[in-house]
Amino acid sequence: MTSARNIVSKLSPLLACLGLLALWQVAALWLDTESFPTAWHALQTVPQVLGDPEQLLNILDSIRRMVIGFSLAVLIAIPLGLAMGRSARVSAFFNPLLMMIYPVPKAALMPVIMLWLGVGDASKTLVIFLGVSLPVIYHSFQGAKAVEEKMLWSGAAMGLSGLQRMIRIVLPAALPEILTGCRTGLVLALITMVTSEMIARQSGAGNILFNAMDMAQYDTVFAMIIIIGALGIVLDAAFDKLRWRLVKWAEPHQEILLGAS
Amino acid sequence: MRGKVRKLSPPSERQATGGRMQVPLRPEIDTGTGATSGERARAMIEIASVSKRFETSGRKSHLALSDINLTVNDGAFVSILGPSGCGKSTLLYIVGGFVAPSEGVARMKGAAITGPGPDRGPVFQEFALFPWKTVLGNVMYGLRQQGVKRTEAEAQSLRLIEMVGLKGFEHFYPKELSGGMKQRVAIARTLAYRPSVLLMDEPFGALDAHTRTRLQNDLLNIWERDRKTVLFVTHSVEEAVFLSDKVVVMTRAPGRIKQIVDIDLPRPRIRAELLLDSHYQKYVVDIERMIDDGRDDAEHS
Amino acid sequence: MSTRRLTTVLMGALPILFVLAIWQALCSFGYAPPSLLPPPGKVFLRLAQQLGNVGFLDDILATLIRLFAGFLIAVVLGVGIGLAAAVVPAINAVVRPLVQVLAPLPKVALYPALIILFGFDHASKITLVTLDALFPILLSTYYGASMVEQKLVWSALAAGTPRWQILFKVIAPAALPSILTGCRIGLVISCIVVFLAEMISSTDGLGHLLVGAARTFQTVDMFVPLITISLLGLMLNGLLYGLRKYLLRGFPEV
Ligand SMILES: Nc1ncnc2c1ncn2[C@@H]1O[C@H](COP(=O)(O)OP(=O)(O)O)[C@@H](O)[C@H]1O
Ligand SMILES: [Mg+2]
Repeated sequence: MTSARNIVSKLSPLLACLGLLALWQVAALWLDTESFPTAWHALQTVPQVLGDPEQLLNILDSIRRMVIGFSLAVLIAIPLGLAMGRSARVSAFFNPLLMMIYPVPKAALMPVIMLWLGVGDASKTLVIFLGVSLPVIYHSFQGAKAVEEKMLWSGAAMGLSGLQRMIRIVLPAALPEILTGCRTGLVLALITMVTSEMIARQSGAGNILFNAMDMAQYDTVFAMIIIIGALGIVLDAAFDKLRWRLVKWAEPHQEILLGAS
Repeated sequence: MRGKVRKLSPPSERQATGGRMQVPLRPEIDTGTGATSGERARAMIEIASVSKRFETSGRKSHLALSDINLTVNDGAFVSILGPSGCGKSTLLYIVGGFVAPSEGVARMKGAAITGPGPDRGPVFQEFALFPWKTVLGNVMYGLRQQGVKRTEAEAQSLRLIEMVGLKGFEHFYPKELSGGMKQRVAIARTLAYRPSVLLMDEPFGALDAHTRTRLQNDLLNIWERDRKTVLFVTHSVEEAVFLSDKVVVMTRAPGRIKQIVDIDLPRPRIRAELLLDSHYQKYVVDIERMIDDGRDDAEHS
Repeated sequence: MSTRRLTTVLMGALPILFVLAIWQALCSFGYAPPSLLPPPGKVFLRLAQQLGNVGFLDDILATLIRLFAGFLIAVVLGVGIGLAAAVVPAINAVVRPLVQVLAPLPKVALYPALIILFGFDHASKITLVTLDALFPILLSTYYGASMVEQKLVWSALAAGTPRWQILFKVIAPAALPSILTGCRIGLVISCIVVFLAEMISSTDGLGHLLVGAARTFQTVDMFVPLITISLLGLMLNGLLYGLRKYLLRGFPEV
């Protein structure tokens, strides 16, 4: 059944990776400076970084914080977004506040939050939570708003209560959009994690990256870039698989990846 | 001359109907026999042995049109009638040059059609107006493309907009118009660049019955003025009989021409009179029966 | 109608006022020492003072220059590549896998590399902003342009539009709503990223102000740049909204 074209399209992201690495390799050879190692060199440093138990623990700690922040955000943001999408009052209430928070870089709150909660896990997890919440709220809001009114009417006619309609009709109907928000949120969680650690400079993947930068260990810098980049790509691909399973029924629709915070 | 009863040529376009030769059912329904009469009607569009096969996902392909032969004379109003999915739109798109036939050729004034051109103006069921342009902007578009100066294009377009009954709406955007008004704009936009042939794909299909009747009347009035060649796709038998000189009845998939019916009703046609006219009624009933036959065939097979 | 608008605005103002009230209460009732949370009045007074300060305005200017330069480059590249990929299958075949790989990549992680390559000045920050804002713009342009109603294109072709002009005469304008949505997301991202880049390494700009204040525990001065970037974001968003309203006046549901 799988045709040759299918295989090529499955392999093409891999080819793209190889192409980018090759480009890097050529650029590094051409520039030939100590501060810009070749792709090959950086790749060789990756196992070295991951082999160091302290650094590996650091990175795993980062991932743990990211998972906790992300999960909390999703649990709170989806109900809020759905409520905003179905009630003009709720949305009028929260929208302006959210609009004000949206352009504030969540990781930039680190210095302030660190004053209150210290430099530990709590601050970093809170920042990740904030970063993930907004896109998830936004997409849940959009998804719930777009739910066909008639579907809710037929639900009401069948005797479903308001809450039941929310869970049995709005949630599944908005699921594709919600999952798009979660996917964006996942990328954001990773980004916020790295940035908050870059700013707090205590522990974690972002800290390793910038410490290496300060100590001019350029191989480690680029190895960390590869590790964090790969983490992003793998998490995104995995989530996309999951999403695809959950909403196979939905028509393919456009998705815009948000890429920062 | 105009408005007189016009005897239409028993055309030469009735040779091939995919092997299913039809015996004329009624004397009024003369399907032609393939012999050309002495009339000098010029062929505007010729469709010769056209088939269209769509590659679908998977290895199967779908035969949408099979061996279509049809000639449309200059100034004729020809309707294509058939069940949904029988390839009416596809046939029209082939004449428009939007879709290439898999086999055979379509010719316009003797030259093979290789792509779209301003000699063939389409009108779609979905209106397909440019949402970023006003009514005037939409109607002017074709003229500006032909290199007509802005002031001149504007003057001509304003006249056309008045003709389709939209005076006062020149600066409205399509979203601010009703469906019927949108289709009027679309017709004006196409008429503006003076195509020799109008290709209309169920243009009134998305409109309510009342609007539909009004637009049919208006279309006939416009057509009576300059007698453009019109190829008109519809699935309404009444609409086809009311408007056309000739009705091409197609069978369901794969689309073939089942029969071509000359509509020998006097022009100009007045709806109120026609509805009571027994000839008109007979045409409608006979063609409906013809389409039903096709359905029975499909169900038996 | 207008009273309804008014109530909507008031409803929206409520939570913001609520936050301010809590903030004030925390300070007035002594729950938060001023060294951790300065009272809002003090922060806004300081903001007003700073707006008359040339040095502060220079910092805002530096941030805005980086933001706009990065954002505009991202718009040009994103719209250009997005349209090209939607129209030319060969370009699509190359761009699609690259975007698949690069879009989910956390771009901030590249920042050290950008510093190494382009130095600590404007260039590395502008590049980072561009990289981050590029993909949402590119993707929404691409989807918008590939969803263009076929019959619009046909109508234009039949009216005598040469094939090469279809891109500018039909596809780009028809994809405009989608393109502007991408730009809006890109703009928010640009605000966020420029600030972060300045926080990580800079000698000027709003982000640098925050870091500087944090080092010396000037809590009031830490809040000022945060509020400034939030207000800037709101203003730019409002401008883009107005532009969108104007450009899309013909389209259904702006
Ligand atoms: N682009 C296409 N790809 C595949 N199949 C098509 C395409 N366009 C039309 N078809 C198929 O060709 C047949 C005829 O379609 P169409 O011409 O639209 O029919 P009609 O206009 O008579 O309803 C249908 O079965 C339709 O599914
Ligand atoms: Mg059709």
